[in-house]
Amino acid sequence: MLPIIQVGPLAVQAPGLALLAGLWLGLSLAEKEAERLGRAAPGAGAGRLTGEAIYQLALVGLAAGLIGARLAYALRFPAAYRADPLGLLALTPVTLSRAEGLLAAGAAMALFGARRKLPLRPTLDALAPAAAMVGVALALAHLASGDAFGLPTTVPWRIHLWDDYRHPTQVYELLGALAALGVWWRQSRQAPGAPHAPGWGQRFLSVAALSAAARILVEGFRGDSLLLASGLREAQVWAWLILAGSLWGLARWRPARLEDEAPARAPAP
Amino acid sequence: MRALRASGWRRLGPALVLIAAAAWIWLTRVPASAAGAGQIPSPRAGFPAPDFELLAPDGGSVRLADWRGQVVVLNLWASWCLPCRVEMPALDDVYARQQARGLTVLAVNSTIQDRAEAAVGFADEMGVTFPILLDVDGAVSRRYRLRALPTTFFIDRQGIIRSVIIGGPMSTATLESQVELLLAEAP
Repeated sequence: MLPIIQVGPLAVQAPGLALLAGLWLGLSLAEKEAERLGRAAPGAGAGRLTGEAIYQLALVGLAAGLIGARLAYALRFPAAYRADPLGLLALTPVTLSRAEGLLAAGAAMALFGARRKLPLRPTLDALAPAAAMVGVALALAHLASGDAFGLPTTVPWRIHLWDDYRHPTQVYELLGALAALGVWWRQSRQAPGAPHAPGWGQRFLSVAALSAAARILVEGFRGDSLLLASGLREAQVWAWLILAGSLWGLARWRPARLEDEAPARAPAP
Repeated sequence: MRALRASGWRRLGPALVLIAAAAWIWLTRVPASAAGAGQIPSPRAGFPAPDFELLAPDGGSVRLADWRGQVVVLNLWASWCLPCRVEMPALDDVYARQQARGLTVLAVNSTIQDRAEAAVGFADEMGVTFPILLDVDGAVSRRYRLRALPTTFFIDRQGIIRSVIIGGPMSTATLESQVELLLAEAP
């Protein structure tokens, strides 16, 4: 674990650095992917998918997410923030409401996409590498900070962390995120529309499904899960819903193939 | 036949994955009796706060465990640290207003990297009303893995660290809201 990197007089927070680097790298990949997919995407014209459009879309989402998360938190403590409105600008992650931030980011991106007439499924596909890369960066940030730590264990690959031998859940998380990134990379080598290439939207859904499955698996080894009243781990329940939605989408957005039609054609003379 | 098999697997596969995932979620649930049990004190959110006993400048001693049942803001600071100095009035202000509701502020001076006279002089100059404690041999700084000054731990009435803010100065709103979150919980 390396939470702080000392650069001369500066104490740089390694988790934040990992997240920023992951975001930058993910956005760069998304820009390139948008250019590649934009050339082949259906509905080319007024709403063409470009690297610039995807960059702006991501920035709008990021800004709306941060503002939404801070405002939602502040609304829970109106008196405190009325007395100290500059507190809204504090660089403190603990004063962000994550769920509301995600909702605000999603809504802002949907509005921006509709306004720019961006095609939904190719746009989601272009965002897939950014999502996968942020997953990797998040795992690295956890590795640096020691957050998202595991349950105490006696497995041979246990690590000593926070005064106990624990599952290296940060490493499990990293492996899961790398698997999702690997799947995207493999799919990105197939030209859109080529035989056996994924259908529009399936690149994104593959990353979402794999990330959700990895979360369900890894969360089971975590020692710091938020629990529901029944003892179920909240993150696993959300991840299961995302997995179900992604699998449903993968089946629905599957491109029609010749073999799909074969059984129907067989009885014909 | 092959196409039929593939089509069947495409329908069945996702259902099997979802059933397996649901089973794993059920298997790895945490029974109510085990939640939070057996945790070792550690300076992390979600862990019991490591206990300590330190001397105050007046010679009296203060033990963290004695404040169980109160919400504790544990602030590690040094007199030469500018952000620590800037946030001290906000800490005092919140302490003065919320003390009656069960809030305690323990300001642990990292004396191993400061001077006791400088710490006491600064506290007097600021007129702080909460206890100033001197970590002369650095034991608390080490136990709380102090990496940057100031670092603030928000500890609930059960002695569990609920959040940690590394660096500063904290805004009054940040401080007030984090404290309010814990004070609002049932004693």
